[in-house]
Formats: sequence, C-alpha cells, structure tokens
Amino acid sequence: MERKQTLETACRDFEEDLVLYYYGDGSERERSRVEVHMRTCARCQRFLDDLRRLLPQMAQPESLPQSFWDGYYRETVAKITAQRQRSPWWRNLSTPMRAWALPVFATASVAVLAVGLLIGRGGWNPQAVRPRANIPQEILTDASQLEFFNSMDMIESLPALEALDGGKAEPFAGRNG
Amino acid sequence: MDNQKPQELRDEELVALCQQGQGQYFDFLVRKYMEKAFRIAFDFTRDKEEAKDLSQEAFLRAFSRIKQFDGRSSFYTWFYRLVVNLCLDYARRKGRVRWQSLDTIVEENPERAELADSRSAPEGQAMAGEAKRRAQSTLKSMPDRQRTAFLLRNHQGLPIADIAKVMKTTEATVRVYLHRAVAALRQSLLEFV
Repeated sequence: MERKQTLETACRDFEEDLVLYYYGDGSERERSRVEVHMRTCARCQRFLDDLRRLLPQMAQPESLPQSFWDGYYRETVAKITAQRQRSPWWRNLSTPMRAWALPVFATASVAVLAVGLLIGRGGWNPQAVRPRANIPQEILTDASQLEFFNSMDMIESLPALEALDGGKAEPFAGRNG
Repeated sequence: MDNQKPQELRDEELVALCQQGQGQYFDFLVRKYMEKAFRIAFDFTRDKEEAKDLSQEAFLRAFSRIKQFDGRSSFYTWFYRLVVNLCLDYARRKGRVRWQSLDTIVEENPERAELADSRSAPEGQAMAGEAKRRAQSTLKSMPDRQRTAFLLRNHQGLPIADIAKVMKTTEATVRVYLHRAVAALRQSLLEFV
C-alpha cells in the first residue's frame, strides 16, 4: 500500500537499461551489467517487476473473429483491384513495352526535332522543288539539245580562234560573200 | 521461384513480381500484413472503422508505390512506415483521438460479444478496464514520436533497429523515447500494480 503513495523509481543510471532489458534489447554487456546490479538493488528489481506486470496487459491484442479478417481481406483486395483498373494508360505502357518504347520514342523525338530545325532555319523550302510540269518547255533539255548549244558556242568563237592562228586559215566563205 | 507456392514466397520475391507487373501477387502481402497493419492503426486511432480505413489506405499506397521500393530496407519496414505516417497524419488532422476501445464496441453491441477477450476473469475485468483506460489516456497525452516508439515496440514487437528505420531516427533516440513512454505509463498505472 505504501508504494501507491510514492512512486519508487529505479536507479537513475539503470532505468533506461531496465526498459531495454525487459524487451530483450541491448547488448550482452548491457544485459549482464543490469543482472549484476539487480542482485543487490531491490528498487530496480521492483521496477522490472512492475514492467512485467503492466506492459504485457497493454499489448494484449483484442481478438477479432475470423469473419472480420475475411471481410477485411476481400475489401482491401477489391480496392486494390479497382485502383489497378483506374491506373492511367501511360503507366501501363511503362512495364510491358519498356523494351521497344524507349528507342521508338527517342527516334521519333529526334526526327521531330530535326524537321523543326530544318523549317526554323529555312533550309527546307518546298517552293525550291518545283514539279516538272511547271518548268517551261524551253528550259527542259535533253542530251542532244545540250550538244547543239555547245556547237553554237564553238561557232561564235571561230573568229577568235582564227585571229589566234594568225590568218593562216582560209577566209570563211560565208562571211565575205 | 517457379515451383514455390505464392504464399511460400519471401516478401522480396512477391515485391519483385509486383514490380514486373504481376500485381495479383500483392494480395499475398495483404494477407500477410493485414492484421499487423490494422492493429497498429487501431493502437493509434482506437477506432475500428478508422483503423480499417487507414490500414487499407496504407495497402493502396504501398501498391501504387511498389515500383519505388528499392529494397534498401525490408518490405515490412517500408510498409510500417507508410502505416505509421498515415496514422500520425490522422492524429494531426483529428487533433484529438476519440480513443474508443474494442471493449466499448462490445458494450454497445452485446450481440458482438465474441469480440471480447474471453481470457479475462470476471472479477478482474472492471479493474483491468480502468487500467486500460488510464493507460490509453496516458498514451494519448504523449508526444507523437514517443507514442509511436512505444506502440511499435510494445504492441507490435518490432526490434529497436527496425523502429529507428521506420521513424527515420537513430536507435539511441528510439531508446530514449521508449524509456520515457514506459516511465510515464508506469507512473500512471502504479495503483493498479
């Protein structure tokens, strides 16, 4: 009855170790130190006895019927299943398609970037590639027409060639008469 | 792993399967940890429905974040942290815990008397009930971290090293919390000893 009036504490240096001792924690050295001390200290013995009486009562789990746990499990699994079905589509992409998704997205990104840069710098002008149908007929040449133009250039250059030759060649009949 | 029954798989194996997209294996983790999750939530809330909601929310969070689990701690430490954080958020949100006991549920619903602990002797029940109320009141008045350390050690049986991981603190700090909580409880319950 006297103990109810005044709180008897354990020795100051041992109280924390006694709590750990009760729970089976602490190193072997700490446990031996507590055991040696308790052989001669009634206060610490009583402190440990109090813990042994009080603490297990508090931890005593209040039993619930199996039906509660069955219902709990079903409810939890149903909630998780619902969450799984609500997951955004892009989250599902990440796992099964990870192997191909990364290179495909990377290639697509590079392509988009390249086209964007090309357009931005004006390097690609769709007007520059005119359809063949829009090119005037006189510009359209084939190989024989090119030869014709080359021979015309040569004829125009004949007087210059004659001058270089020092007038050795016969005068061009067509020119003098 | 192929020849093993799913219920025989280790937590790490179940988590790995979930991370590979086989979410159905998470159900086995629910089965394994549901009682512990509910009990820790009940220790914090003292309300059966709230404990159910909070612990189920912890499972939902664990499932949605399973890919973030990197295996640096054990699954149960990681999961306990989710449960405890949810409980602490709940305590802060509520400001004051209603502190209902499962005993109260039984008193209110006699047809559910199966919830009561049949091991208690009738003559000791009143005294035990009063001691529990006093203990719960003392627990309620404790700082959050002190109470968390005590509940995880005393009620859940977690080793101090794991409590330190759950609470993201040092083992020495957990020891101090535990000591203070136990000293406070002993003081408040001395007349029932």
